[in-house]
Amino acid sequence: MKFRAKIVDGACLNHFTRISNMIAKLAKTCTLRISPDKLNFILCDKLANGGVSMWCELEQENFFNEFQMEGVSAENNEIYLELTSENLSRALKTAQNARALKIKLTNKHFPCLTVSVELLSMSSSSRIVTHDIPIKVIPRKLWKDLQEPVVPDPDFFSFCLPFLRLCKILNLQVIEANLDGELNLKIETELVCVTTHFKDLGNPPLASESTHEDRNVEHMAEVHIDIRKLLQFLAGQQVNPTKALCNIVNNKMVHFDLLHEDVSLQYFIPALS
Amino acid sequence: MSENELDTTLNLKCKLGMKSILPIFRCLNSLERNIEKCRIFTRSDKCKVVIQFFYRHGIKRTHNICFQESQPLQVIFDKNVCTNTLMIQPRLLADAIVLFTSSQEEVTLAVTPLNFCLKSSNEESMDLSNAVYSEMFVGSDEFDFFEIGMDTEITFCFKELKGMLTFSEATHAPISIYFDFPGKPLALSIDDMLVEANFILATLADEQSRASSPQSLCLSQKRKRSDLIEKKTGKNVTGQALECISRKAAPRRLYPKETLTNISALENCGSPAMKRVDGDVSEVSESSVSNTEEVPGSLCLRKFSCMFFGAVSSDQQEHFNHPFDSLARASDSEQDMNNGSFSIF
Repeated sequence: MKFRAKIVDGACLNHFTRISNMIAKLAKTCTLRISPDKLNFILCDKLANGGVSMWCELEQENFFNEFQMEGVSAENNEIYLELTSENLSRALKTAQNARALKIKLTNKHFPCLTVSVELLSMSSSSRIVTHDIPIKVIPRKLWKDLQEPVVPDPDFFSFCLPFLRLCKILNLQVIEANLDGELNLKIETELVCVTTHFKDLGNPPLASESTHEDRNVEHMAEVHIDIRKLLQFLAGQQVNPTKALCNIVNNKMVHFDLLHEDVSLQYFIPALS
Repeated sequence: MSENELDTTLNLKCKLGMKSILPIFRCLNSLERNIEKCRIFTRSDKCKVVIQFFYRHGIKRTHNICFQESQPLQVIFDKNVCTNTLMIQPRLLADAIVLFTSSQEEVTLAVTPLNFCLKSSNEESMDLSNAVYSEMFVGSDEFDFFEIGMDTEITFCFKELKGMLTFSEATHAPISIYFDFPGKPLALSIDDMLVEANFILATLADEQSRASSPQSLCLSQKRKRSDLIEKKTGKNVTGQALECISRKAAPRRLYPKETLTNISALENCGSPAMKRVDGDVSEVSESSVSNTEEVPGSLCLRKFSCMFFGAVSSDQQEHFNHPFDSLARASDSEQDMNNGSFSIF
């Protein structure tokens, strides 16, 4: 198993650092999947996470000047590593004004992801900073639990960019949306019920038109979720998405799909049982 | 600096609580703007230090702080005979320090004649499997002064380094680092126009030895810190002595092969025997050992004692006569100070 990659472009490095910070806010421990074209940060829906799962995907060629990997075997040309997200984001933070950043898989007493940075300095010699982040290699038999989650045929979806920004301010409990481009955020307590209405959000074309033809366009699908999970997701947003999709499976879960130029992030929050 | 009614100078050795002094000198900006004069004197009859601020329009504010007499620790350490000397801007050290997390207890400084490296202590990284190991290499040309007599790797307490750095950022003066082989103290010093401060840190005496068996027993040292910061003003120097006692206790493992070397290493760096260094100056050090901690199945965290001292470079003629007054000391050392002896357990 081998992995080495290098970033020399400052903008790419900053972008990668921001993504890593976002991941660190969303998941304490996550899985890093390395494949020939992509890097994925994965959180799978275990009870420990409260049922929340995450799938973040980057096209490696948008970030790295050099990228070489050799997976577990020729047929399974992938590497799955488990690491503490904060370790990676902290290591990247020290690479603020770096001339170059190298990441590679090493084995110094135990398997590590070594982040090596060449920093610009006042004098002629540069400073070299190295961080060895301990990782666990995930054996192949566990890979099946870490695949891209299948989005169940959602009842309704809509684009909801402004919704994300507003969510940070409100206390949400219920999200409902319909096919007519409307989205409602509700909080209900014994004494008060507050609803915020969004109109004129787009609905993307549905994959299978036939099943939804007879559905009333104004009928709302709703899901009750834990506010904290949603807030945690929103608090981690450092990368402004160009497009945000919110899919609701009635009373089952809400699925957010954020698209940025070269990174996509999917986040699943289950309904409260 | 200290007077009684008869206007004779006394040399008073006392200590004051930092908690009493800090609030008086808070809000530096407003102090500078409004205060015309500040007078500090002692009234030994009442065991008080009096700090008076004279404002405009005849307004005077007086603070009375009780002091306690004490026998301050005296450290003997001549930094000028150290093999390795560096002088750096605080900025560089600050850049290196951000690499490490606040949970990092020890760091290792490794130097060769060409470069300088600050890194996580190997011992610690090995014990905690989730710890990130970090290091920073800096070229010798970033230093104001770089003289390395021999390749050295020494390990010392990270918190002390951070504390000292915070202090140095207030003075903007470069920091000088003096050190020798592992086990011998390391000195960090700042020499400004108004202030000279020296921090003497203990360093780990052991070589970087690893226990191959996870069930090795270790004697771990309870960490004890005491801080002494001495300051002098440029003009009113009555006389100082370089008197220091350095005390360090290196952890020892009951791992058969290493026991002997460890003990001898300890003895080499300042054992209870008195040594004569630099004429009349003597060095006494003690090492004390706490209870054995047995942690089967895992490596013990090794800790070692570390002390901060202020040591003022001596006026060579006056050695013992006028040990310098220390104003303040961290309260956690009160116990052993009151006893006047070194036992801490």
